Amino acid sequence: MQIDITHRPGNSAAKVSLESGESITAEGGAMIAMSGHVQVETTTHKKDSGSILGALKRLVTGESLFLNHFTPNGGPGEVFFGTALSGDMMQYDLNGPGIMVQGGSYVASAPSVDMDIQWQGLGKTFFSGESMFLIRLSGQGPVIFNSFGAIYPIEVNGDYIVDTGHIVAFEETLNYEITKAGGSWLSSILGGEGLVCKFRGQGTVWCQSHNAGSFGAALGPMLKARG
Amino acid sequence: MQTSIEGGSAFAYINVDLEPGETVIAESDAMSSMSSDLDMDAKFNGGFFSGLAKAYLGGESLFVNHFTNNTSSTRRVTLVQGTPGNTRTIELNGQEFCLQPGAYIASTPGVSLGIKWAGLKSWFAREGLFKLTVSGQGTVWYGAYGGLLEKEVDGEYIVDTSHLVAYEPQMKLNIQLAGGLFSSFFGGEGFVTRLEGKGKIVIQTRSLSGLADWINPRLW
Repeated sequence: MQIDITHRPGNSAAKVSLESGESITAEGGAMIAMSGHVQVETTTHKKDSGSILGALKRLVTGESLFLNHFTPNGGPGEVFFGTALSGDMMQYDLNGPGIMVQGGSYVASAPSVDMDIQWQGLGKTFFSGESMFLIRLSGQGPVIFNSFGAIYPIEVNGDYIVDTGHIVAFEETLNYEITKAGGSWLSSILGGEGLVCKFRGQGTVWCQSHNAGSFGAALGPMLKARG
Repeated sequence: MQTSIEGGSAFAYINVDLEPGETVIAESDAMSSMSSDLDMDAKFNGGFFSGLAKAYLGGESLFVNHFTNNTSSTRRVTLVQGTPGNTRTIELNGQEFCLQPGAYIASTPGVSLGIKWAGLKSWFAREGLFKLTVSGQGTVWYGAYGGLLEKEVDGEYIVDTSHLVAYEPQMKLNIQLAGGLFSSFFGGEGFVTRLEGKGKIVIQTRSLSGLADWINPRLW
């Protein structure tokens, strides 16, 4: 499997070149083009495993209920993946500790990658106002995720704060808690920062430069009501 | 203070490295990530009444956040505007600059934000009845949806409505038809802003209201 991310960072797309019989799993709706002999199998779970429960869990993360598995038969083939919002994509090769991906940032992964939904607890989800459901990816192999805007990594060594709307993914070696941004709750709420994610430990957090929620809040009032 | 604008013209964001004792001020919700030991305090945007005026008239937030480094080494805060687009700086050294409502992102503590009546002409130009002014000493970061185009005007210059981001205060704004009646309404340009004077203006290459106007007829 060869992954090339093109048209970065504004209009990125991931080109996945597959050997005959090799598969890639992607979020429903992510495919934008593919070779004619690529077979698509749609399931509610990881290829050859999983359950409807996994699918329902994935639905609450803001991801599609369905996963598509793309396999070229009778020769090598390719699949392009894209996303709705403009922004960057990146490839991460899992080999050791797993990573947590914010619901909505997952694009695709190799079949050798295990996928599980982590329920972040009612408090964390409710108060953050974000889909603080996370997809835990572990095992071996490449993963593709996307962002709204550019992606910048932060090497955390100690504590670091990231606005909940700016998290793309992070290494599971990090602990995190949803907390106030400033010294006081009042400041955090009045200052419009609301709740943020405080990471603790050692590991990488990938942030997206822009917050889709903020963009929606700016554009939304200009749109007419649905008739 | 070391600062840099990253992300290119489409996804510009600001890295601010604060030395011990330094402060940077940013609009509400501009912080995307920061060192956890920076102090963040929400304060009225220049006093209660002034803050109210800026919030309701100038398209800015009632509160701004003060990020202060009370540690003994350099700390980073990353700031960004709400829409994708470019970000630029203005270095103020006593002069004033006018900003479109909502364009302000952040500033150093020596900068004061004000609100001024911009007039009905400005409202027709879809730039708001009031304009935001920045003055004093220091750096201002501002931005808009789209790329930013800087232009030195000497005489007259015409900018499409909702594309003017910033201009020097001596520039006079007038609203007019883009061309004759026919071309103005059938050519899709409608009203435009005519700027007169000698000074710098900044234009955004896209506009959020333009995007909304494109989406709206397609909603059903």
